[in-house]
Amino acid sequence: MSEEALWLDGNAIAGLLSEVFGAELTSTERRCQSCGSVTCLGAHRVYQGAGTVVRCPVCGDLALRITPLPDRHVVLLSGTWALEVPRPSPT
Amino acid sequence: MERAALLERLSRGRAPIVWRTTTVREIVLETEHARTIVLDVPGWPGHVAGQHVDVRLTAEDGYQAERSYSIASAPESPSLSLTVVVFDDGEVSPYLAEELRVGDEFEVRGPVGGYFTWRVEDGGPLLLIAGGSGLVPLMAMLRHHAAQASAVPVSMLVSARSRDDTLYRDELATLSGHGGVEVSYTLTREQPRGWTGFARRVDAEMLTAVGPSPGDRPRVFVCGPTAFVESVADRLVELGHAPGAIRAERFGPTGE
Repeated sequence: MSEEALWLDGNAIAGLLSEVFGAELTSTERRCQSCGSVTCLGAHRVYQGAGTVVRCPVCGDLALRITPLPDRHVVLLSGTWALEVPRPSPT
Repeated sequence: MERAALLERLSRGRAPIVWRTTTVREIVLETEHARTIVLDVPGWPGHVAGQHVDVRLTAEDGYQAERSYSIASAPESPSLSLTVVVFDDGEVSPYLAEELRVGDEFEVRGPVGGYFTWRVEDGGPLLLIAGGSGLVPLMAMLRHHAAQASAVPVSMLVSARSRDDTLYRDELATLSGHGGVEVSYTLTREQPRGWTGFARRVDAEMLTAVGPSPGDRPRVFVCGPTAFVESVADRLVELGHAPGAIRAERFGPTGE
């Protein structure tokens, strides 16, 4: 098994992202602080072990870590997150 | 504004993601290694082709395991279907693919995901490239296309180990050649006698033969094991497809 086959992409954690952030985030773009590239969270690299690590798909810079504890998720955001999230139209 | 009223306003339009108990209505054998699980999910809010559900299994001692599965059924389908391949990694797939019986219950939440999705109104042409069980979300798109009688041209390339390992074989044969849909196959390990399709890993020449040219600006969806997706996406970019037009979804290390 090659090492590069051990990661997935942000689609795999769509449910977790919804649980933690309260909104669908995989189609949301994020600008990487390290390399400046803008990519959807669904296209980010995801490594899953005891927790979840999300990295920029272009340069590999750390973006997000989510660690599950018995009663809560611990969320660590790295770098500068410039997120553009669609707003629901007012009703 | 009162705090409670403000919170209420903030939460409106954001459906909380909840676990729902689902019952297995039917199990369909797809191949020697894959089964489709047809589910009744009370309160299911509907989905978009390409989305997933998270599945949660709870053991008698309370131990829980979760995994994400692509939805195989079209949004127009009255029931929700998941196709599970037995040799996918993890603790959940072997249970779903081998142990589960009609009438059993487990929990799902979703639909989740909004990146790897397609609606007929998104337009095309479409280029769908599947490696192994990566066919599942692309099949939902193809079924959605058929249910809507969409005129969007669709080129689909299915890579499988062998003909017996190819999911949805009969349905794909029925859909191909109609409504602007063309399905091509490559069998990477074993080909039946007289096989006229491709018999190698996906390469640039194959992509050029089956798909719209980059000049047609197709929407491209690639799904399969990570190594498969990486290789196909690289070839597509080399051929001149815009990286922004290529959407990918990667499965675990096994599969194709």
